[in-house]
Amino acid sequence: MTSMTLTTTLLSVEALTVDGDGVSIAPITFALEAGQRLTLLGETGSGKSLIAQAIMGTLPNGLTTSGQLTIASHTCAAADTTSRRALWGRTLALLPQEPWNALDPTMRALPQVAETHRYVAGRSKPDANSAARDDLIQLGLEEGLNKLPGELSGGMAQRVAFAAASAAGASIVIADEPTKGLDAPRRDDVVKLLAKTPDAGGALLTITHDIDVARRLGGEVIILRQGQVVERGPAEQLLNQPQTEYAQRLLSAEPSRWSDPSPFSHQASSPVVSASGLGIARGGRQLFSELDVAVRPGEIVGVVGPSGCGKSTLGDILLGVAKPGAGSVIYQDGMPRLGRQKLYQDPPAAFSPHWTLNQLLEDLLRRHQFEYRAVAPLMERLGLNQHLLDRRPGEISGGELQRFAILRVLLLKPRFLFADEPTSRLDPVTQQQTLSLLIELAREQACAVMLVSHDPALIAKVCDRQLALAG
Amino acid sequence: MTAATTRLSSRFSLPQLSSRQQLGAFLLALLLAFAWLVPWLFDADPARQQLTRILQAPSLAEPFGTDHLGRSMLARLAAAIRLSLGMALLSVATAAIPGVLLGVVAGWRGGWSDRLLGSLADACLALPGLLLVLLLVAIAPGNFWALYVGISLVLWIEYFRVVRARTQALVTSPQIEASRLLGFGPTMLFRRHLWPELAPQVFTLAAFGAASAILAMAALGFVSVGLRPPTAELGLMMIELLPYYHEAPWAMAQPIIVLFVVVMSLNLLAGKDPR
Repeated sequence: MTSMTLTTTLLSVEALTVDGDGVSIAPITFALEAGQRLTLLGETGSGKSLIAQAIMGTLPNGLTTSGQLTIASHTCAAADTTSRRALWGRTLALLPQEPWNALDPTMRALPQVAETHRYVAGRSKPDANSAARDDLIQLGLEEGLNKLPGELSGGMAQRVAFAAASAAGASIVIADEPTKGLDAPRRDDVVKLLAKTPDAGGALLTITHDIDVARRLGGEVIILRQGQVVERGPAEQLLNQPQTEYAQRLLSAEPSRWSDPSPFSHQASSPVVSASGLGIARGGRQLFSELDVAVRPGEIVGVVGPSGCGKSTLGDILLGVAKPGAGSVIYQDGMPRLGRQKLYQDPPAAFSPHWTLNQLLEDLLRRHQFEYRAVAPLMERLGLNQHLLDRRPGEISGGELQRFAILRVLLLKPRFLFADEPTSRLDPVTQQQTLSLLIELAREQACAVMLVSHDPALIAKVCDRQLALAG
Repeated sequence: MTAATTRLSSRFSLPQLSSRQQLGAFLLALLLAFAWLVPWLFDADPARQQLTRILQAPSLAEPFGTDHLGRSMLARLAAAIRLSLGMALLSVATAAIPGVLLGVVAGWRGGWSDRLLGSLADACLALPGLLLVLLLVAIAPGNFWALYVGISLVLWIEYFRVVRARTQALVTSPQIEASRLLGFGPTMLFRRHLWPELAPQVFTLAAFGAASAILAMAALGFVSVGLRPPTAELGLMMIELLPYYHEAPWAMAQPIIVLFVVVMSLNLLAGKDPR
């Protein structure tokens, strides 16, 4: 197609497909030259991560792939997974999702990085150690050199994982959802970190559902939906003037573009939950102290703060699941035990994966003597189809499952709902749908909501009031 | 998302056995059929002696030959398999039920109940398994119940430990917290959340446990501290036929082969294909 040019193509993917186990990715073709960046953007379940796994040659069993890959002038068929193993670390590096899970929890940061220098890049022990030290210091981790992964913050662990993955001088870096579960400032750090590779003449392939990350990284963007390429082009052009209907919908679902909320009008009513002088320490660290909170019926209160500042712990205390170290929580008169409910960050984690949704719903109806008829209107409002009920939690999308979680919770007519980052693992379109439904229904039922999020724009658009935890 | 689906499908392929497990199940079914069909189809008494027809080679009338007292090997083997498998089933059930229940209690409640039950398990572990069985057998020699209690006492600890560790991790998981907030009681939490996670491991342990119970019983029979003659028991048959291995190697080989096949079928059934 293209004639010989002076630039070197580091990674070229020809008609790559993935099939099997209910997923299929239409043939996708792209090429990355030295210094280029490519971002695959799409909602959860659009097959983004499978593309990364197909390039690395680490697809799970039961999936087949076809197509041709050229990785740094080494050409092979995508289905031939063993030949790529020799390239791991040296040419091709993968920054996995939630890298703190990819680090060895019993090994300190420095030896963890030195290991790659020594065994993959083949340096002597002292050389490897000093190279690892240089890498980590360059990434601003002087204090973290001798810490275990458990003692590092999410952002620091990410940098250690990045250093370990790229220590052997891989020129092609694939980052799979590098910002999943990180708060806004850390997210920007990660973007800067990732940009180092193309700046140094490498190639970067990022997979994300976060439009902001795609915008900051620049380069080329491919929007995927259900394994199909919807639209592709340079980041600035694509993200500012999307041509296709889906891309427009995806971009307008960014929290900063949402419409402002309707103002809250029940200021006068007495609070559902109020707490005064709350304080708690975890692992020898004071998370917060002298905290006063009050939430009124139907009010949406946003909770913001850096990772690990005790947002979830505050929720557990207000729900009555955990006891505060200091202070007290007072509930409105006549608050039933089941009047306090919670929505979880990772919808599949909040369900037993072994039962169909129908079974789970029947359990709930039997336990609380509800009529099935009472459920149907709410299900319809939440856009949950009857046929979804025959599936198990792992077999439907995260957004659908979170809406089912909302259904279960709202059936109990809660007075207070603690929503712990309920949409952070959902893509923007689903996030907007889910949150606006939640807010609408909470207002209707006069249920107080505490919404945790790491996205300040989202909190600003959705919540009546903010509670900032310092950390 | 895809990882979750594959994990899920592998979890639910539990009833669909792998090829190794199918082989194990097939062998076990053959043994069961043999053990229960022989008394039906043949008029053979495992204890009937015919001293004129000792150590006969397999023939049409006696397909497996006879032993040193002229007893039908066919009938004795069938009786020995019934005894071994029945005993294995019984000791596995008596070990698994309290093991699982106490494991759930210890993992769930934590604190004192955990410490108390944990020390009880450690106390049982302090004696090597076979020694504990020998001790009980010494108290009541040749008794079936001593063997059975001894083997169960050794086996329940595995269930207890595995279930306790798994329960500890699950009890703090969001799925159980969510169900608890929705008002479900302990029975429902166990049925919906704990048991589906525990069941595959418990069944694997049960199959291995059955194999080791059978081996333990045969080993005790072989060193003549287990069941007493004239009971047809695999270990006992081996030691009884050992002096005649020169004249009748086929007779001596039979209990050994049967024991091997029983244990192998159970181990095949328990083992999963490495992924």
